[in-house]
Amino acid sequence: MDTFTVDIAIVGAGGAGLRAAIAIAESYPALSVGLISKVYPMRSHTVAAEGGAAAVTLEHDTLEDHFHDTVSGGDWLCEQDVVEYFVGHAHEELVQLEHWGCPWSRRPDGRVAVRAFGGMKTERTWFAADLTGFHLLHTLFQTSIRYPSIRRFDEHFCLDLIVEGGRTQGVLVIEIASGDLRIIQAKAVIIATGGAGRAFRENTNGGIVTGDGMALAYRHGVPLRDMEFVQYHPTCMPGTGLLFTEACRGEGGFLLNRAGYRYLQDYGLGPAGPAPRNKTMELGPRDRLSQAYWHERQRGRTISGPHGEVVQLDLRHLGPAKLRERLPQICELAQRYLGIDPSREPIPVLPAVHYTMGGILADGRTAAPLPGLYSAGECSSIGIHGANRLGSNSLTELLVFGKVAGLEAARYANGVSHGDAARVGALAEASAAHALELLMRPRGTERIATLRAEMAKSMEHGCGIYRTAATLQSTCERLAELKQRYRRVGLDDHSRAWNTEWLLAIELGHLLDVAQAMAHSALERRESRGSHQRLDGFERRDDGAFLKHSLAHYRADEAPRIDYGPVKITRSHPGTRAYGAAAGTA
Amino acid sequence: MTEPRTVEIRVLRYHPQHDAQPAWQSYTIPFDDDTSVLQGLLYIKDELDGTLSFRWSCRMAICGSCGMMINGKPQLSCHTFLRDLLPGPVRIEALAHFPVERDLIVSAGGFVSKLESIKPYLIPREPRALAAGEYLQTPEELERYEQFSACINCMLCYAACPEYGLNADFTGPGVLALLQRYNADSRDGGRAERMPVLNAEEGVWTCMAVGYCSEVCPKRVDPAHAVNQNKATSAADYFLRFLRPKRDRHE
Amino acid sequence: MSESLRAPHPYVRSMRGWWRRDPFFVRYMLREATAVGVLVYAVILTTGVVRLAQGEDTWNGWRAALRTPWSVLLHLVLLVAMVFHALTWFEIMPKTLPAIFIGGRRVSAATITRGGWTAAVVACVALVALAWWWGS
Repeated sequence: MDTFTVDIAIVGAGGAGLRAAIAIAESYPALSVGLISKVYPMRSHTVAAEGGAAAVTLEHDTLEDHFHDTVSGGDWLCEQDVVEYFVGHAHEELVQLEHWGCPWSRRPDGRVAVRAFGGMKTERTWFAADLTGFHLLHTLFQTSIRYPSIRRFDEHFCLDLIVEGGRTQGVLVIEIASGDLRIIQAKAVIIATGGAGRAFRENTNGGIVTGDGMALAYRHGVPLRDMEFVQYHPTCMPGTGLLFTEACRGEGGFLLNRAGYRYLQDYGLGPAGPAPRNKTMELGPRDRLSQAYWHERQRGRTISGPHGEVVQLDLRHLGPAKLRERLPQICELAQRYLGIDPSREPIPVLPAVHYTMGGILADGRTAAPLPGLYSAGECSSIGIHGANRLGSNSLTELLVFGKVAGLEAARYANGVSHGDAARVGALAEASAAHALELLMRPRGTERIATLRAEMAKSMEHGCGIYRTAATLQSTCERLAELKQRYRRVGLDDHSRAWNTEWLLAIELGHLLDVAQAMAHSALERRESRGSHQRLDGFERRDDGAFLKHSLAHYRADEAPRIDYGPVKITRSHPGTRAYGAAAGTA
Repeated sequence: MTEPRTVEIRVLRYHPQHDAQPAWQSYTIPFDDDTSVLQGLLYIKDELDGTLSFRWSCRMAICGSCGMMINGKPQLSCHTFLRDLLPGPVRIEALAHFPVERDLIVSAGGFVSKLESIKPYLIPREPRALAAGEYLQTPEELERYEQFSACINCMLCYAACPEYGLNADFTGPGVLALLQRYNADSRDGGRAERMPVLNAEEGVWTCMAVGYCSEVCPKRVDPAHAVNQNKATSAADYFLRFLRPKRDRHE
Repeated sequence: MSESLRAPHPYVRSMRGWWRRDPFFVRYMLREATAVGVLVYAVILTTGVVRLAQGEDTWNGWRAALRTPWSVLLHLVLLVAMVFHALTWFEIMPKTLPAIFIGGRRVSAATITRGGWTAAVVACVALVALAWWWGS
């Protein structure tokens, strides 16, 4: 097996991975960085983010406010010292992106513009039209090109971490074009592989968002934290699940039920005024909006469409000029996919899975409990989102913690040497054997697509916006069954070059493990908090018993073991999340 | 219960390990009014033939992965709908003018290398400390390059460009549009450093103003404009180089 | 910068007959072919100048040759080619100019094209009128 040696390996070349690579290249140019991605970097799912990135910017805004918005938005399940670091370093990161060329939208005076976003007290979301993730990703990728110390392994699929001597020693990858297996030996590994939304039937995610890095860390004994918290974005396209950005609401859009009524006012988010008001109505947090949809559906106040029950996102009153300037991609999506002109007709929307709040356990400096392993971005749980993420915090997260991960991994790498190549090679061979067995399996009885569809349907049913012990239990059982059946999955394609079916099968394995962590963590959390809401006697938040993080520990061939870890509270003690009239944002 | 509508999809298949050349293969799939070509291909891969290989991800025309020739035209399969291609058969093959690695997958490494060669990053006209905040840029200044910055690197313009098809060394529409994006950015001062790329034979001078690149671009980047307006720039640079002293960063 | 060694044996497709694959390319080739029409007409006019320099008889001979049926047919074909040439010239012209802003708003490519066509028509009408007035 070919071996490549680098100082730091980064798995995932989206916003966080690229930011980490650049941080190392700038501060430690003598270190070589192996940037590994199963797709070309500009295809990473960061590209699909639309709305913006938050940082305290306006004169009257404060770090304290951003801190409190984030902590209360997360229903007090955040690591408050990490949130403090995050809000304090947000602005400089966004300025850094601007210095690297990011085309942030501007005010007439040439300063960067900020817009309102859900759950934020003051306008603080920087944006680049409604293509913020796209511009962020391309700026980072193009900037990364200036650093010769970044060696890219484009279209290389990461099969496994190599852990030896109690330390991360590199990764085993497949060069997708040839199907050849390769070892990338490294002194430190950063995982930046994104979320796991593809475990659910309807989601905003691209096909690549399959929890790869989460599963790899998990299988090597790193706990996955807070996996029960899955964000349903309230305004997605029926059928495909594609995202209509929160910025639609930030610019003043309304959500209407079948009677044309702005129903959010019935759920404590009112009063309904004509202009957008922070933390009120359509600018409430995502979990509350998705929950309101669910209740409207129960009450028969949604509209039946060919792809399910929908509500309406009304942007007509924004006018064609503003739509063209601020929401061009939304208009394109609505027109092309639905044949709708948003300046004339409301857009049918419903909630779909969008973001994984939970992930690889990371301390405030992105380090996993396994020495030499770091994680950043959606794949990690560093503790800033808690039980519900505020929109526009995650793009900033990629930058703030992508940089931290890069610098921490570099510092660690400087203090150790590469492991023994022979032992690393042997471990890689053993790991490779599993992947090759799957490839060569002559007669499988299960199809990938069947198992994937059953998993996704079950997750939608059991880990939906509202959960009960019965539905969660049934999903846990179904996942166990699917994992058994997965051992008998068979491929049509046994070749090596560009065998994407083989990769789909491996990704399914990752999703099944991550889904189990999600479902079991949800079953054990007997309270309602943030995006995890129950209807079976545990409708209230229970700080006494559950003001703690869940930790899922992998057990081969068994359900995960769930235990708990403390939440770091510094300045903000759990209170009521105040939205609507109670928010005082008038 | 009504029978679902079906349509024939013909895909140009090629496997590097056992085919001497590509060959067409036919599939019949169900579809409805919403089904995109990508969804059709995914149905084939999931239910009929797992060996069909193609790139895809976002499903919303922003990642740039799923470019292919659909009925002879370069398009993104995720936002091209079967309802518009009836009665079929729908012919699908890999993006034109690129070597085929397998089925609908082309070699993209050449494009990426060219992208790397144009210094596609901001070379600031003036230095500015991070603590001083953002560079000022008015909405009008942003408008000068915003369109060129919308390129999703889907390479449809290369599949549309016969000059690139005839000469794979041509830097090409998409990369030259990105070059123009940086030159036209009011914060950038790297124009002089990028001139060699423009001036080269494989730079703007291979372009014959066919203009099909701008027709097929899904994001209205207008690469034909980026390339052709730089012919005047390149000519001026050539003829006036004797008059001007060697350019420094500050113009 | 990328470490990919890529697939074993990529297939390169032929460019033979590329311009027949799409109506857009056919139109492009016709556009380019009108340059030949321009060349032919330039030769005819140059011949006329030479014939004029050679004396009144040869000049009248050239003019008579222009009035033969084949010549008229050729000139009709050349006229169509010239019109197509002018039409497509102004279609592509906006691409060759930098972005033009008037009063803070970008002048669209369509405006530039239509402006070009208008100028061409006006110039042709003016020239014909001038020739008519001069000739009468």
